[in-house]
Parts: sequence; C-alpha cells; structure tokens
Amino acid sequence: MSTPILELRQATKKYAGVPAIDAVDFALMPAEIHALVGENGAGKSTLTKVMAGVVTLTSGQMLIEGKEVNPRTPSEARQLGVAMVFQENSLVPTMTVAQNLFLGQEHFFNRLRGIYIAAQQFLQSLNFDVAPTATVSLLGAAKKQMVEIARAVLHNAKVIIFDEPTASLTPEEKKYFYDLVLDLKKRGVSIIFISHALEEALQIADRITILRDGKHVVTDLKQNFDRARIVQAMVGRDLSQTLYGQRKATVRPAGRRVLSIQNLRMATMVKNNSLSIFAGQVTGIFGLVGAGRTETFKVVAGVIKRDFFHGGEVLFHDRPVRYLVPASAVRDGIVYVTEDRKIEGFFETMSIAQNLYMGLLAKLGGKRAILFNSEADRLAEKWITALNIRATGKDAKVVELSGGNQQKVVIAKSLVQEPELIIFDEPTRGVDVGAIAEIHQLINKLADEGKAIVVISSYLPEVMAISDRILVSRQGKVVEEYSALEATEEKIMYAAVH
Amino acid sequence: MEAAAVIAVLRDFTDRVLGRGEAAITVPPFDGALKPNQLLEGAAVVAQLDAPDDLATNGRSVFVSDGPRLLHLDGSALNEVQRFDRTITALTCLPDGGFAVAFQGREICIQGGKHDGTRWSDAAGKPFCAVNALSPAPNGKLLATDGSATQPYDKWSHDLMGLGRTGRILELDCSTGAAREVAAGLSYAFGACSAGEEIWVCESWRHRLLRCGAGRSGAVLDRLPGYPSRITAAAGGGFWLSVFAARTQLVEFVLRETAFRKRMMAEIEPEYWIAPTLSSGRTFLEPMQGAHIKTMGILKPWAPPRSYGLVIRLSPEGLPRYSFHSRVDGKNHGVVAAVECGGNLFVLAKGSRRLLRLDIADAERRLLA
Repeated sequence: MSTPILELRQATKKYAGVPAIDAVDFALMPAEIHALVGENGAGKSTLTKVMAGVVTLTSGQMLIEGKEVNPRTPSEARQLGVAMVFQENSLVPTMTVAQNLFLGQEHFFNRLRGIYIAAQQFLQSLNFDVAPTATVSLLGAAKKQMVEIARAVLHNAKVIIFDEPTASLTPEEKKYFYDLVLDLKKRGVSIIFISHALEEALQIADRITILRDGKHVVTDLKQNFDRARIVQAMVGRDLSQTLYGQRKATVRPAGRRVLSIQNLRMATMVKNNSLSIFAGQVTGIFGLVGAGRTETFKVVAGVIKRDFFHGGEVLFHDRPVRYLVPASAVRDGIVYVTEDRKIEGFFETMSIAQNLYMGLLAKLGGKRAILFNSEADRLAEKWITALNIRATGKDAKVVELSGGNQQKVVIAKSLVQEPELIIFDEPTRGVDVGAIAEIHQLINKLADEGKAIVVISSYLPEVMAISDRILVSRQGKVVEEYSALEATEEKIMYAAVH
Repeated sequence: MEAAAVIAVLRDFTDRVLGRGEAAITVPPFDGALKPNQLLEGAAVVAQLDAPDDLATNGRSVFVSDGPRLLHLDGSALNEVQRFDRTITALTCLPDGGFAVAFQGREICIQGGKHDGTRWSDAAGKPFCAVNALSPAPNGKLLATDGSATQPYDKWSHDLMGLGRTGRILELDCSTGAAREVAAGLSYAFGACSAGEEIWVCESWRHRLLRCGAGRSGAVLDRLPGYPSRITAAAGGGFWLSVFAARTQLVEFVLRETAFRKRMMAEIEPEYWIAPTLSSGRTFLEPMQGAHIKTMGILKPWAPPRSYGLVIRLSPEGLPRYSFHSRVDGKNHGVVAAVECGGNLFVLAKGSRRLLRLDIADAERRLLA
C-alpha cells in the first residue's frame, strides 16, 4: 500500500476551548478524489483549513508524503503542494486572468506580454478555454473556478482542496467541472472536495469521509455507500444526548397567516420559493448552505432586494409589500435578527443602552427630533432585566460582552420595535450553552404571546427542539413541510439533500 | 386626490410592465393547514353516480342530487326520493322538514314542509341564471348564490375565462316569497352559509370567503390556493369548505392574457382550454397535468394540477384547521359539496362522480400521526 500524500493524525482544533475538530484521522492517497461530507458545523471546513494552512492544529500531526509538517500560512501550505479553492473565489476581480495566475510571482522587470504568452500556453496545456487577457470580474462562475484551479496547478499543487465547488455552477458547468477534476486526477493530483450534494460525492469521489460534530465517523470506498447510509452517518447522533433534549410532545396551533411568500425569486439563490408563516407558532427553517433560507427572509425584511422583474410576491397580512430598506419593514412590524451579529447586529463600541435606543429610533423613523438619554437608560434597564443580559451595567460596551449576551442585545434591539413577525437567523450560533437555553425560552415565550416566529438554523437538533412546524429548504425553495410531531432528523436531512 | 389617482395609474402601469402587485402571476402555497395529504383520495366510495351535483343533510341522514333525481342515503344504499323534470343544481334541507331545490340554475323551489310549492325565478328585477348553492338562514329565510348573470350553471369555466363579475348572493323569505339581493358584482358566487349574524359567501374567481351583513364586510379567508365552492356548518363548530380546483400559475397567466384567452375560447373546445376542470387525464389533448423532473439523479413528480380534490375544515373564526386532499395523481377531484352527518364527512367529488365518506375522528387521528 502506498504512502498517503497527505495525512492527519488525531487532529484537534479548538476555538476558545471548544473543539471544531476532535481527534480526526484522515488520509488522502495519491491521485485520489476524496469527498468530505457532513452537516453544517460538522468540521469539514476546519479540517480543510488546517490542511491549507489557514488555521493551525491545537494538537495532533499533519504529514505530507510521510513527513511531519506544520504549515502556518496558506503560502507555506502552497509551498508544500497543498492549495485550496474557496467557495468564494480568491481572485482579484479587476485584474486579468494572466495577472491573477502569476500574482505573487512577478519578477522585477515583468513584461505583460510575456505573462500573457506564458498564461496562454499554460491554460492550453490544461485544456482550459479561458482568455488570459480577460478581466476576472467579467468571467462566469465556472471560468473563475478554472482560473483558481489553474493557479493551484501552476503552483505545483499535489493536493487541491475544493470547498463547495459546484454550488454556484450551472448543470453544464458542473459537468465541465467533473471532467476537469478527473483530468487532474489523471495528472496525479489528489483532490479533496467538500460537498452537500451527495449525488456529486457518489458520482466522482473514490472515497468518502463523513464527519459529524467535529469527529470522524467513517471513511470508505464510494461503492460501499448509498444515500441512505450517508444520511444516517451524517445525522446519527442521539437526540437525547444533545443540548436540546427531547422532541416536542405538543405543538402550538397555527393562528392567522401573517406572511405569505409566493413564487419569490432572487438571483440564483432563491428560486420560485413559496411558504406561509402563521401567528402564534415557531416555524423552523432548515437547509444546508446555499439553500436560500437567509436570502429569502432578507428579502422579506428589506435587507436585500428581490428580482426586479417577476420577483414574485411577499404578502404581509395579505397585503403585498416590497421593502427597499429594513426600516420600512420594521415600521410594519417585521424584524430580522441577523446571523452575523458582529457585522450587522450592533455597534460594538457603543453601549447597550445606545444600541437598544437605535432599535427604537429605527422604528420611529424621523418622528423623533430630540433624543433623550433618560429614555435610552429606561429602555436598557427594562431589557437588561427582561432578557437577563449579564453586563456591568447599561453603559457597558457591547464589545465587552460574551457572545450570548451580545446576541441578547441584538434580540432586545429588535424586540423594542414591538414586531409581529420576528425572523431569527441562526439565533444561537457562537452562543454559550446557558444563553442558548435562555434564547430558546424567549423564542417560545414570544410565540406563546401570539407573535409569528421564524427560526432559521443549520443545526438540526435546534430546529427540532424549538419548532412547531419545520420547513425544509433546498436549492432556493421550500421542498418539504413537517409538523414537529412527525419530523425526524433522517426525514429532514433526506429532504434537504435530495 | 388627483395626485393619488395619477400615482395609482402609474403604479398599475409599472406593475404590469414589471409583473408586480396585481399583475404578479403568483399562487399561494399549499402549506400549514393546507399541507397536502391523501386522505380524500383514500376515502370510502359510498356510491358511483351519473351526474351528481349537491349534498344536503338534515342532521340524521344525507341527501344527494343526481341529475333530475333526489336520492336518500340509507346506510350504504341510495334510494330515490323524488324525480324531477329538470336537472337539480343546488339542494338543501330546511329546518321544517322540506327541501329547497334549484332547477337548472334558473328556478328555486321549496319541496315539502310548510312552505311547499314556494318558487322564485328572479330577484331585484333580474332572473336567476346560475343558482348553484342553497343554505337555510335564521328566521325562516334561505340563502342562495347565483354564480353568474351571463353564463348558465354548466358553463362556469366560460364565466371564469370571461372574467365574470356578475355573481350575487340572495336572501329569500320563505314565508312571504320575497327575494333580496344581499351583495352583487361578485366574481362567481358559489356557496354561502350563515355564521352567527353574518353571511359568509365564497367568491370563487377571487379565491376568497367573504362576510357580509351585520354591518360588516370584508374577507374572512383570502388568497386561497384553489377555487372555493359550497360551505356547510360542521358539527363541532366551524365549517367545511369545499374547493373544486387548485390554482396554477399557468391559468393565472392565461387569465391575464386577454388576446390569447379570447382566441382560445373562440377556437378550442372548452374541455381542452387551459382552465381548471373538475376532472382530467382523459385524453392526451388536455393541457399538461402531471410530469416529472430529474434532480440530482432522483426522478421527482412535478404536477401543475388541472383538477384537484380538497375539503378544508375551518374554525368558527374562519381559520383553516386542517384539510383533506386528493392530489394530482388521484381521482376524487372536483369537490363541490361536503356535509357532516353522524361523525362522518360526506364529500361529493363531481369530477369522478363519486360520493365519498370519511370518518372524521379517524381522519383527524391520521393527520396527527
């Protein structure tokens, strides 16, 4: 048996003491196509980032061709022959293809013509139909991917890692991509690719590794897998052992239809999506990355815009709405609690009181000419108590709070707007265990009060524990609906990947 | 005010250009309480009939209209109660023991009871054209819906494709013989019932259930994903609403394309129109009913429903609680009537000409399972 070209032994990476991957063993053979499969948060990205030098291991070993290595940067990893092609490509959009290929390898006297000739010859040798003089921003997704691959090969990569390589490709482009991967394999390059599309893994991989909750579950030849076995391995956790406990025994009955989304379209992410949200219920939205969940509800809340022509309809209380900015949605009673709190959720150098007051001002629009610190203070005191925000006081800067308390501030900032429809996007991501339970209690309380609640989550146990009704999203639209009473992890995951 | 009118006109124009607002060709989803199941398709077939049209119950037994015949369901057998010389288009049992019957949509007649022989053939100076539903109202009155003033009862799809707005709801006084128009200008009124002091009426082409009377008006239930038909009271409070076809984007599109629609109506036989029907799948000449697409190696059915079977259980407030379906690949389509009697729901699937029976408790249990 030949030596693995790349091997990880007992690889562990911890973030703030929490393992993202935990004692994972992984081996990639020469000229092998190896698929990495797992739910969101299973540790696939962390594992590949370790290989690509983006992050370093907390403990464990990484070996290349049998020699222990410890790449600390992507450039060190590239020198060792490991290159990674990210889902969001890393090309410079304003530069030409040739300039991107040779970026970082420029000589002191660089002739542009020389670069173009070298790039042309190199691209032709790979049989890639891309003009070296073309500006990258004008290329389609598949061609950009080709440039990324060409760059990896140019750097003499022996291992190329793809993160969701086909997510943004059309069916024709996907076919072309598969051919490219097979061609690279013939050239002796080993490929690792992360994919949520099980069909893809079963189609082009030689072996498949499945990760779950940061741990290695199984590695086997693709012939020994079928869809059912993969899904079972992906979700096979014991629900009773998770943080969220037992599944629901009762569900809340639906009230009036608050939101109706009909045939919604938004670029390539949301495709003819239709769903309803009812008052007095928690509706959980589950889907894998790229399923269009966040984009759908960002359109509803006016954070992003739907297609200009024939973008479908969004009806709030049976009235068509089209918000150009979130403030209009807030005034109507729709709030979106972002998944990315650090960027979109709060002003980190401002105090809790100031952040909450911002929320109120957004609701009031231009009606408030004079601002009152006393009002902001009263508001902060009320919500710090109501949501049990642990801080030194209302004047504490949000940046000084823990993740869980920051999330509570973001939620409080939305609740001061007295919404009817609250959209929580990944409400417990990066939140400590105690705060998760508190946030869930709060969500349940809001539903009991008759509010319409949407919880978008990539974590199945969370969706199952908190939802009265679960919608499964795939490829830009809702494909299945379950009552919490009938849902199982296997059913939901099956709907999400097929 | 003028500025508002101009803005409205401009908005209407831009909506048409951009496919937004009223010009958006969208259809509400079957979800929540309307999530599809196969309970209606799996319902027991009580009888296969020739030309059934309506159901009625007096609380003890069920009556069915079948062409010109009035039948009584005795156990699982249907016995003829009376045969008329014209087709029955609507039927209801009256509290005093008689029946109210509509003949060919043009005349309403009381049969039996203390007002036997009372007849109506017009209201508010306009003759009946397409009387399609009858329902008793408090104070000895009778509610009737006249679907269209221009198209007869059996040409309802002509009314839909002609964007008909001539439906009306009538209140008939059995003791005096008076007839009053409660509301007019409806986009095909099909089914009505009393709900406390209010009258609820289905406006099929606008996919909604309206309330009128008692000083209140407006939608009880709006933007349904199908075309509602008759509505009857449920035993435990609330109502049964039958829906005779499902909406599709294709039909919505055709309804907005006036030139295409007119040409289709002029040149093509009605059974092949791109329009909802009570049943389908008889010939390959019909517009597409079912198909499939292959995604990620899995063959998946894709079905624009030309015909569909649906009964919705409404709460006393008019909120959908659950529903029984016969999906695209089923047979029990074109549901025009549903009545509850003795713990069973009797459903008339006009598309398959079947009288169906569902044990309500059992169906509710299966829905929750």
